[in-house]
Formats: sequence, C-alpha cells, structure tokens
Amino acid sequence: MNKILSTVVLMALVVVGCVRQDESVIRIGAAGPMTGDQSKMGIDLRNGVELAVSEWNEKGGVLGKKIQLVPGDDQADPKQAVSIANKFINQKVAAVVGHWNSNCSINASTYYHTANIVAISPASTNPRLTQQGYKTIFRVCGTDDQQGGVAAEFVLKTLKPKRLAIVHDNTTYGKGLADFFKQVIENKVQVVYYDGIQTKDPDYKAVLTLIKEKKPDVYFFGGVYPEAGRLVRQAKEVGMAIPMVTGDGVYDPTFISIAGNAAEGTYVTFGKDPSGLPTSKAFNEKYTAKFGAPGPYSVYAYDAANIILTAMQKTGTTEGTAVAAYITKNSFPGAFGDISFDKNGDVTKAPYVVWKVTDGKFVEMK
Amino acid sequence: MFTQQLINGLALGAVYALIALGYTMVYGILQLINFAHGEVYMLGAYLGIIVLGVLTYWGLTAYSLVLSLLVTVIVSMAFCAAYGAVIERVAYRPLRNAATLTPLISAVGMSIVLQNFVMLAQGKEYKNMPPKLPTEGFNLLGANVSPVQIFILTASILMMVALQLFVAKTRLGKAMRATSQDRVMAGLVGININQVISTTFMIGSSLAAVAGVMVTLYYGVVHFSMGYSAGLKAFTAAVLGGIGSIPGAMLGGFMLGLIENFGASYLSSAYKDAFAFLVLIITLILRPSGLFGQKAMDKV
Repeated sequence: MNKILSTVVLMALVVVGCVRQDESVIRIGAAGPMTGDQSKMGIDLRNGVELAVSEWNEKGGVLGKKIQLVPGDDQADPKQAVSIANKFINQKVAAVVGHWNSNCSINASTYYHTANIVAISPASTNPRLTQQGYKTIFRVCGTDDQQGGVAAEFVLKTLKPKRLAIVHDNTTYGKGLADFFKQVIENKVQVVYYDGIQTKDPDYKAVLTLIKEKKPDVYFFGGVYPEAGRLVRQAKEVGMAIPMVTGDGVYDPTFISIAGNAAEGTYVTFGKDPSGLPTSKAFNEKYTAKFGAPGPYSVYAYDAANIILTAMQKTGTTEGTAVAAYITKNSFPGAFGDISFDKNGDVTKAPYVVWKVTDGKFVEMK
Repeated sequence: MFTQQLINGLALGAVYALIALGYTMVYGILQLINFAHGEVYMLGAYLGIIVLGVLTYWGLTAYSLVLSLLVTVIVSMAFCAAYGAVIERVAYRPLRNAATLTPLISAVGMSIVLQNFVMLAQGKEYKNMPPKLPTEGFNLLGANVSPVQIFILTASILMMVALQLFVAKTRLGKAMRATSQDRVMAGLVGININQVISTTFMIGSSLAAVAGVMVTLYYGVVHFSMGYSAGLKAFTAAVLGGIGSIPGAMLGGFMLGLIENFGASYLSSAYKDAFAFLVLIITLILRPSGLFGQKAMDKV
C-alpha cells in the first residue's frame, strides 16, 4: 500500500515539475565551478551574469519577457559539465554564459550545438573550443596560442633564460597552454624538463626537487591558481629561486593568498586591466556595490551576458542560429572597448599583457 | 637527489601512516571503514592553523616555538578526539547491529556533513599561514632536511611508539585487542565495549589531528576539501599494510609516501597516484590480506 502511495505521490511530483516550466521568462544559464577548489571563479562568473540580467530586467527585460538566471555548478569537472548542459537543455535555457574551464566548455559545447543554444565562454582559452565548427559557440577571452606566444616572447626578450622547465596540470587548458608555449620556445631555449603534475595533490616536493636538479633559469606552468600557489610555495621551500611564468588561470588574488611571499616575482599573462578604462567604469561601480570587488573574469561574464541579450533584443528571437548569426556579424560595446567576433567565434582582438606579482599584488608590466 | 626524495617521501609517508592508523584501528574493532576519518584530519589541519594563529597573536610563537607547537598539537588532538567520539556516538553506535553496509553509508554521509560544516564555518577559500619554521635545515648526504620534516618524522615516530606501548601494555589496550578479536565475547567477560570503541575513535582521531597539524606546518595551506584525497591515500596505505593491523598501517603509510615520491621523480609526476595504486594492486594480488593482514578479507 505504502509503495503504491509513494509511487503515486512521486508521479504527481514529476507532473508538477513539468508543469512548472514557466514560459513567460527567458532563462539564461551561467555555468562554472561554484563548489570545490575553483569555486571562486564560478561564483565570480555567476555574479557577472547576474548583474547584467538585473540591469536588463530593470529596463523591462528582453523581448517583453523577464530574464531569469539559471546557475549551473560544473565543479570544474568535464563530466559534470555535460550533466549541467543537459539540465539547461531540459529547462529550456535560451543561452548560456560558460563554462569556465576549457575541458568543461569543450565537452558541453557539443550539447549546446545540438540543442541550438548560444553559449559564450568568458574564460575558456583552449583553441579547440571554437575549432569544432559549432556556429553557436563563442568566447570573449583570448586563446592559448595567442597567450602562449605572448608568454614565450616575454620569456625570450626579458628573462633570457638558457635552460627552461615546463610543467602543466594535465588538463585541456593547462597542457594546451604549456604546449603552445613550448612550440614557440623550444627551438630557441633548451627545455630541460617537461611533464605534468596532478591537480588537487597537496605535495609537489618530489617534482620540484627533480626540476631543481635540472638547474633551469625559469619555469613555465600551465594550470590554475590552487596548484600554482602550492607550486611556488613549495618551490621556495625546496630552495628553488627562479621565477615562474604562467597563464591567465593563475590571475586571481587567491594565488597570492595561497603562496604568500613565495608568489613575489611570478609572471602571469592576462588581459589588460579594465579598471582604469572608461568603458568599464559603470560595471566596476555597480558590481562592487552588489558583490564586492570583481574577480578577474566577472567582467568577461558580464560582457558575454550583455552580448547575448543585445543580440536577442535586436533579432527579436531567442532561436540559436539567428542570435549566433547576429553575434558574428556585429560588434558590441564591452569593458575593454568594442568586441567583435571572427567566423569561428573567437574575439578579433585579445590583447594579452604580462603581469608581475609585486608586493602582494598583480602589477601590469609596461 | 635520491636522499632528498627519500626524506620527502618519509615525511609524506609519516602523514599517511598517522591517518592510516585511525582507519585500521576502527576497522580492527568494528570491521567498519570510517570514511569520515579524512575529514577529522582536515579538522585537525584547520585547528592547527587557527591555534597557531591565536598563539602568534598572543606572542607565544615568538617566545617559544617548540612550546607553541606542543600547545597546538595538544589542543588539536583534544578537539579531534572529541569529534571522533561524537562521530562514533551519532553516526555509528545506533547502527552497530545493522547490516554491514549501513554504517558505511552513514560514514560517507558524516564525511559530507563535516566537509560542508567546515565550508560554511570557515569559508570556501584557502586558508594559508606564513611558514613558522625556517625552510633551511641541516645537510644530510647532500639533502636538505628541513625543521618541519624533522618535526614530522620525530612526532610521528613518537606517536607510533606510544600507540604500540598503549595497545600492548595497558589494560585498555588489552581490552581493545580483546574487542577486536571477538566483540560479543569481550562484552561477556565484562569489558565495557562502548567505552573501548569510543576510546579507539578518540585515539584514531587524535592521531589524525597530529597529521593535520603537521600538514599545516608542512604546506601552510588548508582547504575544506583536503580530507577527501588524504583519506583515500591513507585508506590505501591501511589496505596495503593489511587493514586491521597497526604495524601494517605504519609500514603501508611510509611505503606509499616513498612510492609516490620516487615514482613522481624517476618515472613521471603526472602519474603520481597511479604508482601508489599500482603497488596496491600488485600487493593485493600477491597477498590478498595486505602485508601484515591476519585473515582474508571478505567484508567490504
């Protein structure tokens, strides 16, 4: 009896769940790691989208409907990213801002493409994301081949090492970036060490002791801030006094708070600082009032959401192909100036600059 | 480099061994894998960073570093012992006569509860601490042995010797051994089973607390998710040594630390975990009950 009753209740709940799909709003997904050790990035991303959504809602929404933010936590896990993508599709999300990690974005992009949903990643820099021929997939950040090139050029011209070590975190992003860097630099400098490390491993002393033994002058790391923070900290402890050069995944104050003093002198490639630009003034003020200091990718997420909503407004539809076609053809005001896309969905200009950790802060190098 | 990696491996292994002891002792007595044990270690690490922070604020670390480390270890052990006792009372005792898998599920649940509790209470961010001990130590055959590593090795060996003496020589230790051999029979001859089991959890948890404080000093960074992987490694160490066996857990921990370090440095750092589990698989094929295991395992 009980079993029958609970089955009936369960079925009723399922039916209610289906009915609840509200057609009077437009849903925008925001996907990124919101729990786990990269959670700050996902939350920064969601806040950026939330700010854009609330601004649009104050102006009356888009296409006469209110906009609803649907957050999706992919836990920086590509498997989880797929289930988030499916969740978004089931909930009839009209467009997605995300994901943060390259492997998550790449995995989820197939689903967005099949479901004809526009997805703009604010942070996934692995080139493969936009090379799959998916018309509805975009990104508002640069790519790792651009970034790896900038890092390599900086290392060659400014640091002038004789021997170089390269470490990556074995993810699509980290290994991709390290490989692009290596491609550019390997004929010009002797690469004495190249290998991956495991993410979430608290202990990197074994690999650092090995690197120290090979006597490089500089080491490059392709990966994200939790690992980078532990690496530089332990590098100092094993007595390695050489600078680390790394990419945009490390650009966050958390890196410095993990590494402490050991972070000093680390070089990071990242976009220009938007805080001084007149185009990002309004964003900075509103974001700070609502959520506190913006994270490195908040502004990219905000821009991505605005591009999607503007395109929907102009085309008068939420249908993926039409919105994507509009995004490809037009240019949009963003925090760094106007944003326009090439035929793959990459931004036409993505200026990377080198930042150096000085006195506990990232300082843009002139 | 060999000596340096040997020392790094021993220090890492000591941490694994201390956590593994908690797994193995609980398994020995209850045939239960206490999956919440890794979280107790995480709590120990948080307590380490908090107590050391408070002591630094009071100026005790500047006055005497050894004394403040001692205070930190004792406070952390006391707190974690209390956590261990409460975990047993809340999550396992009501299920003691339930089917074997039920307390296991309860253990997994407890682990999630503790992780989220710390996340809510302490925040999602990493907590870090500037190094309290100098990184330069003395030179041993070309390797730098840092004061933290000396602290880790001596403290863990002291703990292990004390535990061995406790189990072998004291009345309570004898009662623990009796309970692990036959719980019902031990109860019949007048041993207070609940007290023995509580004590086992408290001892295991305080050893994990020591490991937590060590890691705080060694890496300087704590995070609420750190207990999961450390717990998994320590569990591997306990199985490698033969779960239920105290010397086995110690040996398993040190072996695991050394295998990981040598594997990472001489083969590839990208497969550090793989070496540990490869050795585990080979050991279990050759000796299904682990290195020091008493009987074939048919429970989990």
